[in-house]
Amino acid sequence: MTGDAVLILIVEDEPPIRRLLRTTLGAHDYRTVEAATAAEALTALRHHRPDLVLLDLGLPDLDGLALIGRIRETTAVPIVVLSSRGDEGAKVAALDSGADDYVTKPFGADELMARLRAALRHRLQQQGADRTFTSDDLSVDLVRRLVRRGPEDIKLSPKEYDILEQLVIHAGKVLTHKHLLREVWRNETVDPQYLRVYVRQLRQKIEADPSTPRHVLTEPGIGYRLV
Amino acid sequence: MAPGSYVLKLTRALLPYLEALVVTAFVAAGGIAIAERVELPNISLIFVIPVLAAAVRHGLFASLWAAALAVLAYDYFFLPPLYRFTVADPADVLALLFFLLVALVTSALAAGTHAEARTAQREARTTAQLYDFSRKIAGVVDLDDLLWIVVAHLARALNAEIVVLMPQHGKLGSRSAFPPDAILDDADLAAAQRAWDYDYRVGGFNDPVTPSSRFFMPIHTGRSEIGVIGVLPLDPSGRLPPEDRDLLEAACSQIAVAIERLVLADKAEKAQLGAERERLRSAMLTSISHDLRTPLASIIGALSSLHSYGERYDKPARDELLATALSEAERLDRFVGNLLDMTRLDAGVIVPRREAVEVGDLVSTTLRRAMPLLHDRVVGSVVASELPVPSLDFVLAEQALFNVLDNAAKYSPPGGRIEVEARQAGGRVEIVVRDEGPGIAPAALERLFDKFYRADEGDRRRAGTGLGLAIAKGFVEVQEGTIAARNRSDRSGAEFVMSYPL
Repeated sequence: MTGDAVLILIVEDEPPIRRLLRTTLGAHDYRTVEAATAAEALTALRHHRPDLVLLDLGLPDLDGLALIGRIRETTAVPIVVLSSRGDEGAKVAALDSGADDYVTKPFGADELMARLRAALRHRLQQQGADRTFTSDDLSVDLVRRLVRRGPEDIKLSPKEYDILEQLVIHAGKVLTHKHLLREVWRNETVDPQYLRVYVRQLRQKIEADPSTPRHVLTEPGIGYRLV
Repeated sequence: MAPGSYVLKLTRALLPYLEALVVTAFVAAGGIAIAERVELPNISLIFVIPVLAAAVRHGLFASLWAAALAVLAYDYFFLPPLYRFTVADPADVLALLFFLLVALVTSALAAGTHAEARTAQREARTTAQLYDFSRKIAGVVDLDDLLWIVVAHLARALNAEIVVLMPQHGKLGSRSAFPPDAILDDADLAAAQRAWDYDYRVGGFNDPVTPSSRFFMPIHTGRSEIGVIGVLPLDPSGRLPPEDRDLLEAACSQIAVAIERLVLADKAEKAQLGAERERLRSAMLTSISHDLRTPLASIIGALSSLHSYGERYDKPARDELLATALSEAERLDRFVGNLLDMTRLDAGVIVPRREAVEVGDLVSTTLRRAMPLLHDRVVGSVVASELPVPSLDFVLAEQALFNVLDNAAKYSPPGGRIEVEARQAGGRVEIVVRDEGPGIAPAALERLFDKFYRADEGDRRRAGTGLGLAIAKGFVEVQEGTIAARNRSDRSGAEFVMSYPL
């Protein structure tokens, strides 16, 4: 990282969206560099070493998924994908090939900022920062393996805890079914039905009203997100 | 045909004459027996019996034969000199002549009656056949079905091979045949073409211009020419008996009417479809221009005024303008999303990605996304415990439920309660959405799920796209579910039921 402010690489071929992103991010004290093509993006990546890549999937010169693969060959920089509505398949594919999260176009500034923050926090966590999660009445301490709802200690089964641990590590970020199966079961081909059942049990324990979850949210067609 | 059957036919043809001979012999024997016991003044009268019998039973020729036999028998057995075919008394010659005259007149009269009876019988048979035929073709709605019934029925009734030819792309071609593998040769086709061109019966071996094994008759109504029917009689004579010719002609006019009916019905249906398409297109244009322009007008208006005169507005006014632009842009986004969904549905490219979906999760996820639309409603949800887990496409099922909730929000008053209930019903899972609005007008019930249909409330136009429920229906149905709308029975309000198989 050079300087104090976080540097974001905007990879987007539409000038109006680039301008919007530049302005919005600038107003939130992010520095930006821009690329209109995949080739420019790869060059900028080498030269500027950004802290995060905001990547539009529909680029003129290279398929967005392929670009994610190319980026992942050299760096673990967080990637947030910009995608269109109704294209869950592409989102899952992007996430499974290494993107950290997605924002659906058209997006609101609040949503965009929340996604960027979550993606950046994960990067900090990997550097050994925060291993705790607190939201409303729920608090999780991964170091001491403590889960609390309000004042109450909650006992989780090992699988439930493993799922929650993944969600906390990636708090605010969407996790695909495949990711959870890989990390918790160590096997991507396990029947996703198990995941569904354990998430349900987890909600029963950590949600105040399991029928209206506030923390473990379902992302239709994609996976789960902890907020 | 085997030679044996010729013998059989010959025998059958001669039978009436043989019968007349036998009857005359019996009568002669009877007359002799009577004459031995009583003296009859004119025994000749009993010889009227075989003549009458033959006339009534077998017609003119048999009765003439019987008359000749009767005269001979009378002469032989009763007129002196007996047992000779000569006549001694000249008065007897006169008597014989009178008898012959009486017999001939009787024959003619009785044979006339016989012919009439036979005609009546034939007509009754033809009528019955025609009735049967018209009954069979009356309810048929498909042209190929109709033609198949026609050829099969006529082939049986006429003991013939039947083909129906109709013009296709300006050329006469076989449309249906019985037996189905009947083949038309060039001579047949030439004859058929002539029958079509000149609207006249042609063909057969005796046709001077286009001799062919089949003969062809045009099928037409007063209004239109339909086609040509070709007949190949299986009778060795290669001809149809006269009554069958009548049947064929009558059948042809019935076929013509039936086909014309089908063609007209088809045209009417096409016209109706055309009108429906036209209605849809104009509704779509109205909807698109209205739903795209209205939010754009607000957005451009608000933003341009901020852009040009921003410094003149105080903060609340600026916020107001921005909030308007934002909410209108979101509305535009929903509309465009709906158009895209509808296009995907129309294009038939949606393939559900099925997974086990917990209905409670589906309901809570949808309600969370719908919350901005429902913020001034009281929302309740009840999900039956131990609900089975159907296999659905989460995204499609979520969007369907979202659209139904959106509709409920639009058509019910602020502050009203909107309920979502999920329950099991037999082998299905049902998701029910109830509102406390005015309910659905009977006229709207049928068209509720139509594209671009919007229920009007007085002169107030609802702010919807007219696509939401059509999309909900489309999305539910690609997952093999059903969606239905009805009015609540417990109070005013509408009730939508999405039902998915387990």
